[in-house]
Amino acid sequence: MIEIYRALFVGQIQAASQYRVQSVLWMLFSVIRPVIFLAAWVAVANAQGGQVGSYDVRDFAAYYVALSLVSNLATSWNAYDFEFEIRMGRLSPKLLRPLHPIHYAVVENIVWKMTTIIPMLIVLGFVAATFDARFRSTPAHLALFVPSVVLGASLAFLAGWVVATTAFWTTRVHAVSTLWDRAAFIFAGQIAPLALLPGALQTIALVLPFGYMLGVPAEILQGAVDVPTAMVLIVVQAVWVGIFYALLQVVWRVGVRQYTGVGA
Amino acid sequence: MRYLRLLAIFFRTELAYELEYRTNLALELLQMVVIITTSVGAVLVLFNYTTVLNGWDLGAMLVLLGCFYLVQGFGELVLQPSFEKFMEHVRLGTLDFVLLKPASAQFLVTLRHFQVVQLAQMGLGAVVVIAGLPRVSTLGPAEAAGFAVALVCGFTLIYALLLALSTFAFWFVRIDNLMAIYWSFLDAGRFPVDIYPGWLRVTLSTAVPVGVAVTVPALAISGRLDVAGLGLLVVGTVAAFFLASWFWRLGLRSYTGASA
Repeated sequence: MIEIYRALFVGQIQAASQYRVQSVLWMLFSVIRPVIFLAAWVAVANAQGGQVGSYDVRDFAAYYVALSLVSNLATSWNAYDFEFEIRMGRLSPKLLRPLHPIHYAVVENIVWKMTTIIPMLIVLGFVAATFDARFRSTPAHLALFVPSVVLGASLAFLAGWVVATTAFWTTRVHAVSTLWDRAAFIFAGQIAPLALLPGALQTIALVLPFGYMLGVPAEILQGAVDVPTAMVLIVVQAVWVGIFYALLQVVWRVGVRQYTGVGA
Repeated sequence: MRYLRLLAIFFRTELAYELEYRTNLALELLQMVVIITTSVGAVLVLFNYTTVLNGWDLGAMLVLLGCFYLVQGFGELVLQPSFEKFMEHVRLGTLDFVLLKPASAQFLVTLRHFQVVQLAQMGLGAVVVIAGLPRVSTLGPAEAAGFAVALVCGFTLIYALLLALSTFAFWFVRIDNLMAIYWSFLDAGRFPVDIYPGWLRVTLSTAVPVGVAVTVPALAISGRLDVAGLGLLVVGTVAAFFLASWFWRLGLRSYTGASA
């Protein structure tokens, strides 16, 4: 398995190095939206004398910088690729290989994140300086951030595959993934830090998986939650990863029988 | 007049094409409703903590968000599909066939293709504008006229920008990335342009006039735009249009018909 992964990595790194500009541009998408909402919250905080809930202007900056980083590390675009492969029948040759198609996606995802992390950090440094971000994180937070972001990325990846797999039944998965993305827009911590979502929305966000992909790792990196709470949140993340892993096993097994190789 | 008739024909054929895929059409409509509802939700969350955001109250913000979807809907209605086809024409060399037709090439390239379903996005945008209006006190014929003028200017600014950007296809052939930058910046139009920090505000109002195209119509309908501001917008828009058209003709001269 290690041998296989090494070979896949080499192949993907070579493929990625052909499209350097493109990967940097796609990275912009992870930054633009958090910056938009950061600017909006800064305006709200300024209108309220500098403080909204437990967040002041510089906390918002730190939160959204952390969120950009997390969303870059936790992006997964399987639904779009997978729909295309099903519609064009391109999945067929992959199914014939002795390796589950998910492994190609895992490597592709990791390589993309490795190649974009440096330009990402430069851009985020610039954003952090513009908005004067202040992180409250201690070394313990930074240590907890690592497992948290890995779990968040795994969760986003597995959930992305579950959504993508609905293409076995529907062929076009675009509508499903839009609904999924918009739920994430509200509940993952993009429009507001989870702590600032009003009443019922906050409760819903804590029950749904979306916040554990983006919002939770971002809050841990920023240092908005204390260490014991962070540990609890990481356990919940792990539970969600387990749930989606099991779900994917089931959905994949049933779904792949539905697959008829359209257009191949 | 002749061009209007051509435009009507283009529109009808594209409508007929889209009506072939009804389920897809219904799903697209559903997606738009969800997207716009969640965006309104995001604004409501912000206004849960404040009554005014840089001088924009909730009503004015809703009007602005509606304008955002009007402008974005217009872009996706005709500009995006047409310019995508245009870049494909350049890459494949099939632009030859467009150039041979007895009508303005710029017209045929830029207004040829429609995603008719995007009219619904504009419609929903208008609904959001109307929802915000009762909270904005003064609406007379002057504001309505100013709004119409500003909105047309906004559409034209976006048109000019996309025309100028896509002209680069004549030299570089593949410019999908350049267009991707535009679409990612467009998202910033959902909030008033004055909330952004200096460098971003300048980019949004000059290099990528998305901020102006959305913010100014919203200012006009809430009666916060004076005649001088509107005049400036009109002059700037006309200048942008002619500059972009000139640049396009310049690019067209380097078109060599690739592989056709």
